[in-house]
Amino acid sequence: MMAVWVVLMVVFIAELLVYTWCRVQYVRTGYEIAQTTIEHQRLMELHRKLKVEDARLKSPERIARIARQRGLVMPDSKQVVVIP
Amino acid sequence: MMTRSTKKSNPLKWVRFRVILVGTVFGLCFAFLVGRAFQLQILEGEQLKTKAAVQYKRALNNRPERGTIYDRNHAELASSIKVASICAYPEQISSPRQTASALARALNLERDSILGKLSSSKNFVWIKRHADPTEVSAVRKLDVDGIDFVTESRRFYPLKNLASQVIGFCGMDGMGLEGLEFYYDSFLNGRENSRTVLIDALGRGFTAKGPFHEGKPVYNLILTIEKNIQYIAEQALSEGVKKFWAKSGTALVIVPRTGEILAMAHVPRFNPNAFSQYEPWLWRNRAITDSFEPGSTFKILVAASALESGACTPNSEFYCENGAYRIGRNVVHDIRPYATLSFQDILKYSSNIGAAKMGEKVGSAYLYHKLKEFGFGDRSGIDCPGETRGSLLPVGRWSEIDAGAICFGQSVSVSALQIAAAVSAIANDGFLMKPYLVQEMTDVQGRVVKRFKPTVLRQVVSSKNARRLTRMMERIVEKGGTGVRAALKNYKVAGKTGTAQKADPAGGGYSDDRYITSFVGFVPAERPEILVLVVIDEPQKSHYGGVVAAPVFKRIARETLRHLKVPPEVAVAQIATMQMSSEAVRGHLF
Repeated sequence: MMAVWVVLMVVFIAELLVYTWCRVQYVRTGYEIAQTTIEHQRLMELHRKLKVEDARLKSPERIARIARQRGLVMPDSKQVVVIP
Repeated sequence: MMTRSTKKSNPLKWVRFRVILVGTVFGLCFAFLVGRAFQLQILEGEQLKTKAAVQYKRALNNRPERGTIYDRNHAELASSIKVASICAYPEQISSPRQTASALARALNLERDSILGKLSSSKNFVWIKRHADPTEVSAVRKLDVDGIDFVTESRRFYPLKNLASQVIGFCGMDGMGLEGLEFYYDSFLNGRENSRTVLIDALGRGFTAKGPFHEGKPVYNLILTIEKNIQYIAEQALSEGVKKFWAKSGTALVIVPRTGEILAMAHVPRFNPNAFSQYEPWLWRNRAITDSFEPGSTFKILVAASALESGACTPNSEFYCENGAYRIGRNVVHDIRPYATLSFQDILKYSSNIGAAKMGEKVGSAYLYHKLKEFGFGDRSGIDCPGETRGSLLPVGRWSEIDAGAICFGQSVSVSALQIAAAVSAIANDGFLMKPYLVQEMTDVQGRVVKRFKPTVLRQVVSSKNARRLTRMMERIVEKGGTGVRAALKNYKVAGKTGTAQKADPAGGGYSDDRYITSFVGFVPAERPEILVLVVIDEPQKSHYGGVVAAPVFKRIARETLRHLKVPPEVAVAQIATMQMSSEAVRGHLF
């Protein structure tokens, strides 16, 4: 009889520990998800800003200005060879 | 001794007493706990549950970023980024004067203005919205209690002035106020989505709770505009306006066979990132919202009507009265006196008298019907706000001089878009296309949600007459024509100049020194890839379309063709010859 009680107690305590471990994992994973979400948002925002910066750097006005500074000119129609 | 002996004699009684005492205390405690639990769980349960939820649940509301506007090659024209705005809680600021001085230095604002805000009785005030990162950093360093930072979304236009009148702009709160930003606001702007998050004692969110409530989706716009062609048009137009000391200018580049607008340029321009620093008239998309008397460019459409009516042929001749023709009480003049001109020479030399006589031969009723078919007096339905109908009086209200003047583009007002779309019909075998600016709408993942396809409105002239008109328009750009300065090497251009006196608001009638000059043409004439319209308002140095607008057309057309890699017609002829000879060789071999 005593042995049965001991086994039951062990099972009960083990279940309690597993449950507690699950809850701890749940909360920890929740924190990790929250952190990752924040990081994702930060990276998305950075990506967006970089895209805007990329668009600014590729502005035709800026590229034309740099080209002029380096002495580049548009090719004359005679300089364009059309390959059939 | 007595007591000690009594205790010794009744040990069981004493133990029982202590057990009962402890049991009673525990029983009372347990009863208290049960009572308290009953009170908390049953009596005040709902109320406390709500109170607790406020402490461990937080609703996270997320407003999606406004959709991005791209050019036809997916280059960003308008995008939203997160920026910090600086705010204050006046009640928490201990020394408003010192804080105002420090903030004024950091933000380069007026101290008195900030002091006024900090001294107000409000709980919350904005100090500076959409502050620069350097300003935010400077204010953070001040470390003043009662100053806070709020992250907001800000619309940013990376190409600054480029196509600003077309794209428009947004206000502080992200609502579209002008241009496509306004027209497509309901698609670009999403609605807030929300989800509930559990938070710990430190206020850190650690898990989501409950369903995610989706807001209204956000869409991106893919325009028909091409940023490089837009830049070419704006640069050429800007130089033309500057060279002739003009008030303003508009240029359009359209694909005649589809109605896609590749460029819609305006000068002067404005920077939508700082729109409030510019006068409101600069914000308008004047190619669509403003109408003007087109002058001689309108003769092409009168000629098209004349050919369609069957009353005239390209070789019909008209007596041009040696430069002065009386219509009712008015006298119509030509720049140079002509005796007799053929139908096609009336266009080549841009004779007003010839055009008026052409109109007489066609008849007002048919001319009106045909001009309506070309789209004058009606909106084209382009996806832009504030489109004008222009003004084409009902034929019943035409006076004798109206009927004549309309033939050379006076007594009628049109928008730049209307004239470009109408002439595009001639370039497109007589089919009038609906002009459009947005070719696709995509969702946040970039998947196409809606595609706008070219729309044929109607056939206005027959293919045969469209080709005849094209040949006549080619002659205008050849030697002796009014549009010779629009001619391009290696490409045949079909075009028409326009010079119109502006109405005089003060004295009535027409002004002697205020003109609108224009040139409209398409190229290559045989198989048109682009149509370019240039309108320059009030040039001072010269007022002829062939002098002011034609060179701007030439530059836009030349650089656009090069950008689009349209082979020169000489090269096309060479390629055709080579292909024919290679087929001949193959024929011999096999």
